[in-house]
Amino acid sequence: MKLARITVLCIALLMVFSLQVRSQSSPAEAFENVTIHTADGNTIESGTIVWRNGVITDVGKNVSIPFDAYVRDGGDSLHVYPGFIDGLAQWGSPDVPDVDTPERPGDPGYKRAGIQPQRRPASLMKAGADALTKAPKHGFTAAGLGLKGQMLPGQVDLFFIQGNKTKDNVLKSGIGVLAQFEEAQGQAYPSTTMGVMSEFRQLFHDAKALNQQEHYFASVSSNYPAPEENKTLEALYPVMDQEQPFYFVADSKENIERMFWLQDELEFNAVLISGKEAYKKADELKERNIPVLASIDLPEEPEWRASQKEEGEEKEKEKPAEEVQEVTEEMRKFRERQQEAYKAYVQNINKLIEAGVKVGYASNGLDLSDIHKNLKTLQEEGNLSGKQILKMFTQSTADVLGYGQKLGDLEEGRIANFTVFTKSFLDDETEAQYSVSNGQIMEFESSK
Amino acid sequence: MKKVLLSIFALCLSLTGYAQETGSVLIKDGTVITITNGNKADTDVLIEDGIITKIGKDLSAPRGVETVDASGKYVMPGIIDAHSHIAAVDVNEWTNPVTAEVSMEESINPNDINIYWALAGGVTSIHLMHGSANVIGGQNETLKLRYGTGMDEMRFDGAPRTIKFALGENPTRVHGQGFNVKPRTRMGVEQVIRDNFDAAQDYKKNRQAYLAAKEAYENGERKNPPVPVAKNERMEVLVDILEGDIWVHTHSYRADEIMMLMRVFNDYGIENFTFQHANEAFKVAPELKKNNAYTSVFADWWAYKFEVYYSTAYNASILNANGVKNSINSDSGELIRHLNHEAAKAVHYGNTSKQDALKMITINPATQLGIDDKVGSIEEGKHGDVAIWSGHPLSIYSTAEATYIDGKKYFDRSEDPNDMRLETNPETDFEETDKRWYNENGRHGKTCLQGAKIRFTKKGMKYKSN
Repeated sequence: MKLARITVLCIALLMVFSLQVRSQSSPAEAFENVTIHTADGNTIESGTIVWRNGVITDVGKNVSIPFDAYVRDGGDSLHVYPGFIDGLAQWGSPDVPDVDTPERPGDPGYKRAGIQPQRRPASLMKAGADALTKAPKHGFTAAGLGLKGQMLPGQVDLFFIQGNKTKDNVLKSGIGVLAQFEEAQGQAYPSTTMGVMSEFRQLFHDAKALNQQEHYFASVSSNYPAPEENKTLEALYPVMDQEQPFYFVADSKENIERMFWLQDELEFNAVLISGKEAYKKADELKERNIPVLASIDLPEEPEWRASQKEEGEEKEKEKPAEEVQEVTEEMRKFRERQQEAYKAYVQNINKLIEAGVKVGYASNGLDLSDIHKNLKTLQEEGNLSGKQILKMFTQSTADVLGYGQKLGDLEEGRIANFTVFTKSFLDDETEAQYSVSNGQIMEFESSK
Repeated sequence: MKKVLLSIFALCLSLTGYAQETGSVLIKDGTVITITNGNKADTDVLIEDGIITKIGKDLSAPRGVETVDASGKYVMPGIIDAHSHIAAVDVNEWTNPVTAEVSMEESINPNDINIYWALAGGVTSIHLMHGSANVIGGQNETLKLRYGTGMDEMRFDGAPRTIKFALGENPTRVHGQGFNVKPRTRMGVEQVIRDNFDAAQDYKKNRQAYLAAKEAYENGERKNPPVPVAKNERMEVLVDILEGDIWVHTHSYRADEIMMLMRVFNDYGIENFTFQHANEAFKVAPELKKNNAYTSVFADWWAYKFEVYYSTAYNASILNANGVKNSINSDSGELIRHLNHEAAKAVHYGNTSKQDALKMITINPATQLGIDDKVGSIEEGKHGDVAIWSGHPLSIYSTAEATYIDGKKYFDRSEDPNDMRLETNPETDFEETDKRWYNENGRHGKTCLQGAKIRFTKKGMKYKSN
């Protein structure tokens, strides 16, 4: 009893001591005279934000700054936004290596078939990858990172994005297991979508049987064969037990339906990644409580439409007759349909939100330099307001990742993840000047 | 209130599975080719909510039901193609000699423009087949051509499960010659089938023993826990074949291999099977009849590889004369548009009666797919899957003018818009999509040979439509 008391006391003392040490080694930091934008789109003019030990300690207009704080003055021209979160990016992932044809294409083994759910980005990531350096300049301070590959490329790990230090800054390993309808490379099973479907089922059957054998083996003292260790199948246990969701990449209506079919049979939790045609299944996604980390990789505007806009219809009329392309009835019909398809893609996210689906953001391979252009289109033609876009990139993505209390907004107690821009984040001229990720600040040189 | 009732009704429908949109129509004064009960001149066909409810003279349309004048025209059951690869995403999971676990029901493209073109040829149902690369290929799916609906909505509800087998050159080339994986010879093909059937029987025994032991252990009736036998997707399907739950459709050409497979099926007690292509079936017609085997053949397509040199345009007629239930299929995105012409060839070459020739594209394929109680003829109580033809469907000058599925019109030549593509990619130019047909279709498009052809150009067997 006495020993226990002493232990408790020691621990308490240690805690106090360590806190002190930490607070001493890490003074507060602050930005003052900045415009602070919260995730819901509200702004605080001439505001102040203070953080210490990686946590925001104060945000607002009349905030008292701690005496030890290192303060940067925004001069009322800088804009502070909650750090953007990419729900699923492949930044730093090694490229998929070239492969040979296996001896028996029908039995290539897990790795060759693209079934490696046990792989971890945190251990395989290329620390010096270009995208990791660029991402903070585009406002990203956290991201779920996955690996390139085929049907089960690996785990999704949640990182603080801090350039080449990202690799050592994992917030949470294995927030999900990446899954997609991707056939094995080259000549190997599964080589079709239907083969991939079947393989998902078989993997679950095999994992279930192995799990059962392990359970039996542990429960009896003797006279039972030892199960063979299988890291691939074991990595699926948490998905089977619904402790870990599949981060399931699907774009077409049909592939989203295929994911539903698998979900009904195999009973896993899912987060839909990309979902370019998800609007066609919005109600069912809502019903199934499947959130979407949506792609903003929008199609290019049809060429004829873009040129019409450019030239203006008046000019078109002024053109000499021989230069005006004859639009046949068939072409007109085609264009009508193309126009509808374009609009539908561009309004995908809006329709999902309207249907009550939780929508965050995932680049899933989209280049950082293409984000701004696509956000413009979403604003102009996608029926999304700047506020909605901001929320999707911050709080909503945090919610989908299960970090809605810690990431995604600027308020006391949240992790200090934010970006200081020179202008509003949707402004063509805007540039990130500082990025703060888990309290660590990076300063960027202006490109001008 | 009406809205509320309607939405409740819609909800009920959606709960019953693949709710289909059905229609009602009265087709008046046509020559009705019933298939099972002769031709009836100046006769009306009434379809209500997707079902043929009345065939007779001077019928009047119930309130709200549209009347279509078919005087001078022919009303025929929708054509059924027992061998098709249109409306598919992938056709061949070619990587293993046995892939029974995969299913074309998961490889449906409901927006394939070929569906519309098939409707324009009076076709209402197809047997969407897996390709012929493997000895035991994937499961097939019987579809109704409900163009532009969805994967689920395209299914032919209640059609039995079927699977593709393939004999001869395709599987031996792909696996034996291609990868040095058995089978390399026709002998090997037989052995692959026997080995896998044996394995399936073992699997069934082991799996059942495990499940029984597991239950006994959990109930305390057994001391030691059993070692699990995992459920196996491939073996489960093979077991279903052996138990008669899945009908077999076999890609085959030569008479000797047809005989071989019938021996194998007799050994394993498999009873419901159709030989697809079967160019040499005429040589063993009595044997086929004796074994209650069905055949589904081309009218006159051969010589595209060595094993189809010995062929004849009399194949269908000889089989028919021997009492073998035979259908004529397309296996092609092009032939499917005029299967009526293909059937007419049996009349032209082999003097098959017009009625029997028409059966080869209606009730006979329906029987081979196990849907003859629902479609394949115009009878009261059957589905309203019909086409109106401008003249006798076996005439080269006749065209399908309108095609109905479940009483709902999916094609109307008089209202045929210039562009029926449903999937329009915002990034693809009109000019580009316009050329597509010529690049992707034609006689050699959408066939089960397609995969094999691609295979030999080293591009892989993968085939993506659109």
